[in-house]
Amino acid sequence: MWSYISGVISLGLIYVIATVGLAVFTGFTGLFSLGHAAFFAIGAYTAAILTYFYGFNFYVALAMGGAAGGLVGFLIGYPTLKAKLRTDYFAIATLGFGEAIRVLLENLPITQGARGLPGIRNETSLPVLMVVAFIVIWFAWNLIHSRHGRACIAIREDFVAAEMMGVNIFIGRLRSLVFSAFCAGLAGGLFAHYFCFIQPSMFTSYMSTQMTAAVVAGGMGSISGPVIATLIFIGIPEALRVANIWRLVAYGLLLVLIMIFRPQGLMGYRELSLDLVKGWYRRVWKGGRA
Amino acid sequence: MFVQTLLTGLAIGGIYALMAVGYSLVFSILNFSNFAYGSIIMLGAYISYFSMVKLGLPIGVALALSILGAALLCYLNERLAYAPLRKRRASSLFFMISAMGTAIFLENLVYAIVGAHFYAFPEVFTKRNITFHGVSIGVLDVFAIAFSFAAIYALHYFLQKSRTGIAIRAASYDIQVCSLNGVNDKHLIGLVFCLAGGLAGISGTFLGMKYIVYPTMGWITNKAYIAAVIGGLGSLPGAVVGGILLGVTETFVSAYVSSVVRDVFSFSLLVLLLMVMPTGLFGRFLEEKV
Amino acid sequence: MSEHVLELRGVTKRFGGITACKDITFNVEKGQIMGLIGPNGAGKTTAFNLITGVYGLTEGAILLEGKAISGKRPDLIVRQGIARTFQNIRLFRNLSVLDNVIIALDCHETYLLGASFLRLPNVVKRERAVHEQALEYLAAVGLEDKAATRADAMPYGLQRKLEIARALALKPRLLLLDEPAAGMNPEESLDLARLIRTIHDQFGLTTLLIEHHMDVVMALCERIFVMNFGEKLAEGSAEEIQKDPDVLKAYLGEGFKRAQHTQS
Repeated sequence: MWSYISGVISLGLIYVIATVGLAVFTGFTGLFSLGHAAFFAIGAYTAAILTYFYGFNFYVALAMGGAAGGLVGFLIGYPTLKAKLRTDYFAIATLGFGEAIRVLLENLPITQGARGLPGIRNETSLPVLMVVAFIVIWFAWNLIHSRHGRACIAIREDFVAAEMMGVNIFIGRLRSLVFSAFCAGLAGGLFAHYFCFIQPSMFTSYMSTQMTAAVVAGGMGSISGPVIATLIFIGIPEALRVANIWRLVAYGLLLVLIMIFRPQGLMGYRELSLDLVKGWYRRVWKGGRA
Repeated sequence: MFVQTLLTGLAIGGIYALMAVGYSLVFSILNFSNFAYGSIIMLGAYISYFSMVKLGLPIGVALALSILGAALLCYLNERLAYAPLRKRRASSLFFMISAMGTAIFLENLVYAIVGAHFYAFPEVFTKRNITFHGVSIGVLDVFAIAFSFAAIYALHYFLQKSRTGIAIRAASYDIQVCSLNGVNDKHLIGLVFCLAGGLAGISGTFLGMKYIVYPTMGWITNKAYIAAVIGGLGSLPGAVVGGILLGVTETFVSAYVSSVVRDVFSFSLLVLLLMVMPTGLFGRFLEEKV
Repeated sequence: MSEHVLELRGVTKRFGGITACKDITFNVEKGQIMGLIGPNGAGKTTAFNLITGVYGLTEGAILLEGKAISGKRPDLIVRQGIARTFQNIRLFRNLSVLDNVIIALDCHETYLLGASFLRLPNVVKRERAVHEQALEYLAAVGLEDKAATRADAMPYGLQRKLEIARALALKPRLLLLDEPAAGMNPEESLDLARLIRTIHDQFGLTTLLIEHHMDVVMALCERIFVMNFGEKLAEGSAEEIQKDPDVLKAYLGEGFKRAQHTQS
């Protein structure tokens, strides 16, 4: 029983690591991506190939997986962000890149194509995940509460005004993209060494969708919100034994409903904090104002 | 071989043109990429398929039902998922999330309810090819091209000659001024979505007949976005030209290079164009609404 | 000779077939408050956009303290010492009043990205310092008790003040105010004029002001540059402009001149 629960928590934490990065990108910088699963896949394959074919140390391979994700993020981001594409065309471009990565993974000899890579070492344990998740959340929190993070938020709020506040729009967005790609890559490496088998068809738009849904539902402009939403998205369907298909139906509907009725998501633009919890308590139990 | 490839390219180009026009109609009025358009196309295909197979209706009636059904669904999509956001003057990111959510919801609903089977249309046009001078083209393709162009011409006539059509063209320049001149912009927007939906019904049906019917076939609308960019964002004639050009060049890449690379080529073309020549061939480059 | 803080030389901007600004030349002296007025559509906000680098010049040159700034990226121009407010308020609406000002102060901070990620002690120190400074700027416009309020939850008049506080926090040498009194009643406008005068003196600024409220313009501006249809219509001191027949015609139409004739 414990091993089942720890499995669910582990899977949840893997996605938390990727989603925190996406939260910075979409939630704090206001850019929409349809292909973040591609960075996840790159991290997974890079880390797996290094440990499987070249016997690298797990932690080094993991770091390289993250770095690979970040590097590809930089390569993709530089031309597309420099061109100041409209947000919707930027999203379509990310879709295209996701497509290109998938084609690449299915056709490079080293990735063994659509058959996938089996037999990866099982290195990802719950303590490892908790430490990595903690570090990533801590980095993200520090970033947001620094001048670099605030620049991203300004870009999201009003990029015209942000420019007039001395913010370099291109660099701010690129930084955000690279950070989120790094987090996704890191999560991918952990994923590979958890399931011990990866193939291109595992990294589909299902994964990208779930991550985006968690950011939106958790609340754009918050880190704790997406973390909580991810854990709920992974945990509850597991508990209820809901099939993947219906999960996606629910995610889609949830995205629309949130946009219409509660666009600020669960946490709004705030973080989970003691004050917030006390406020809820007062409102729910005492009927007073927060 | 060259002429054959050209003909094949024209056939698919005609369908791309149809999708691109439907997409551009909405885009030119609202400056918004309707990411859910693909799922409307998919539903159009399913409607005509099931009309023929389950209800035994002839192709003409099935097509008509598909047009009406898709128009209604597209209209509902607008009323339920986008209109509330417009009233709130939400930013483009929110529209995109809502559109994505709708697409994911509809696709997976079909997956969950109807199933993941691939459905092949019954033979309407015999598999006979018309052959002349050593090149052949399927009877279906001839019909598809003819019908697509007929539909586009009908739309063009409507936009040029009817009062409502002129109102739509005026709205594509500035919908606010239009409403100040007495045009009911809510009705206008609803009508535009109905028209786009009708076109989606036709393209969905022909796509289904030419290839197969399956829940994620809607992703082909990515080609519509690319075609719209080639032809020039905001231009309907541009969408037609862009669609044909894309269909032809894609088919040439597929025939002379490799079919695997085809989609990567199309997306790369998109990114390149957006960086180098964002106005496309005929377009007014529309600034993103800030 | 007083130094020119801002020089526009032969500035021309064409958008396709439309000439928004034609051959605009004027200087703003150090410590001056200069007014930029003209009927709607005269090209005043375009001029601001050209100065701040949002639009590129078609012809001409713009110099800040003798150095050319035309053709530079807007955020770099801001860092050189120009701050600007917007005609339609562009606050960071979901953020608090304090955060709006903090983002402006961030402009002059220099700690590195790595230091941010690791939250090194110098970052913590700077964060605290910036927080304190932001409160001071809010106090300068009278908004210190609204620090925690959401920017868009404030009444219109206070939002305008926040725009000004934010621009001040950029520590500019040149302040561009685009219709700061728009939408205000006469009492509020004069209040605002007093505030602008106070901060102009307190922070040693040079100010260029676009305004339609003539009482504000006349109360504050030492010199005025009048534009119409993208071109220079007149330039001079406040008294000169008030009496200039071309200016009166442009604003009030031919009828005014005829009415004047019949009265005298």
